[in-house]
Amino acid sequence: MTCKEFQEVLPDIIDGGQTVEQESHWKACRECSDLASELTLVSQQAKILRGGDEPSPRVWNSIEIALRAEGLIRQPAAAFTLVPSPAPRWRMGWLVPLTATFLLTLGVVDYYLASKPADQVAVVQPASSTKPVDDDDAQMLEAVSMKTPAMRAAYEANLQDVNAYIRDAEASARNNPADEEAQESLMEAYSQKNMVYEMAFDRSLR
Amino acid sequence: MATARKLQGGELSEAEAIERAKQGDADAFQTLYNLHKRRVYSLCLRMTANTAEAEDLTQEAFLQLFRKIGTFRGESAFSTWLHRMSVNVVLMRLRKKNLPVVPLDDPLETEEETTKKEPGAADPLLTGSVDRLRIQRAVESLPPGYRTIFVLHDVEGYEHNEIAELVGCSIGNSKSQLHKARMKLRDILKTSRAEKAKTP
Repeated sequence: MTCKEFQEVLPDIIDGGQTVEQESHWKACRECSDLASELTLVSQQAKILRGGDEPSPRVWNSIEIALRAEGLIRQPAAAFTLVPSPAPRWRMGWLVPLTATFLLTLGVVDYYLASKPADQVAVVQPASSTKPVDDDDAQMLEAVSMKTPAMRAAYEANLQDVNAYIRDAEASARNNPADEEAQESLMEAYSQKNMVYEMAFDRSLR
Repeated sequence: MATARKLQGGELSEAEAIERAKQGDADAFQTLYNLHKRRVYSLCLRMTANTAEAEDLTQEAFLQLFRKIGTFRGESAFSTWLHRMSVNVVLMRLRKKNLPVVPLDDPLETEEETTKKEPGAADPLLTGSVDRLRIQRAVESLPPGYRTIFVLHDVEGYEHNEIAELVGCSIGNSKSQLHKARMKLRDILKTSRAEKAKTP
């Protein structure tokens, strides 16, 4: 066997077995033996490159956002609430369907209340004992009470929720000042409270 | 059947995660991602030699997988399915960019090309282990077509008939390009080792 013939089948020799003739040439020819050994080493060492690197966290964040936007991530049905439960991380993708649900629900409740005499409307019981956190909240609740008393408890309960959300988001932002997500969550918390106020005062002006 | 790998700490197994992901469970998706992200990302990185590109391709591969997870019936290993999908995503990107996925058919080098040496110069044998960074850089410096074949075969373990089907070449071409890639890497590694030996 010549060196040229040996080197032509070298890929098969490295990846599989070798014939007696090829083995004989390998042992006899120093040049071909060195070449075969070096290429075998390269092939074997390549495996250390398998699976050793890790993508940055933004890759998963982008995947999750896309999955939620496409509806592939389906959260379990939540209890009725005008404002989402406080969470240390709030995903912006949830705002659109949540806001739509919020507006639709208020529209349905508003239609129901408008079609019934006041003495036939059941008062919505709050999920927990409620007290406004500050004077602004109290004024808003008074405005709601004057126009639609039946909605006061619902607004009061959800003010509690959104205020708790704001407190959590503020704490998270304070503890992680460089964390953009924490800052975003805080902005969204304020935005949620603002939305509650807007709905309340819009109702009271009708 | 899907691999029923057990995880530590009471986490979901892969089989459980797959079933829950089909139901839209966010944690299940993340479990599957965490189980396979390194393998997929490394594959993308080796084939593109670009971290930003590799991250985009990793994202795309997982999104394609998750969109189709409802159709996974467990006839093959989940990791195999994901890996194939990842390779196809990378190859499509390379084709879109008009980068050569694999060079055109040409015969193996002649003896003269493979064994030429400088007259009178000793050519130390490449032996021992090669550190990860050196071989990583060497692979990154390969031409894209050689790099694709080398990564698929020697790094990821695909057979030549699989590579031929994936990249659209003949088995013979796959073998010849792999040989050229290995020869090129051998030269690069020998050169870098010689340069390192010279540095004080």
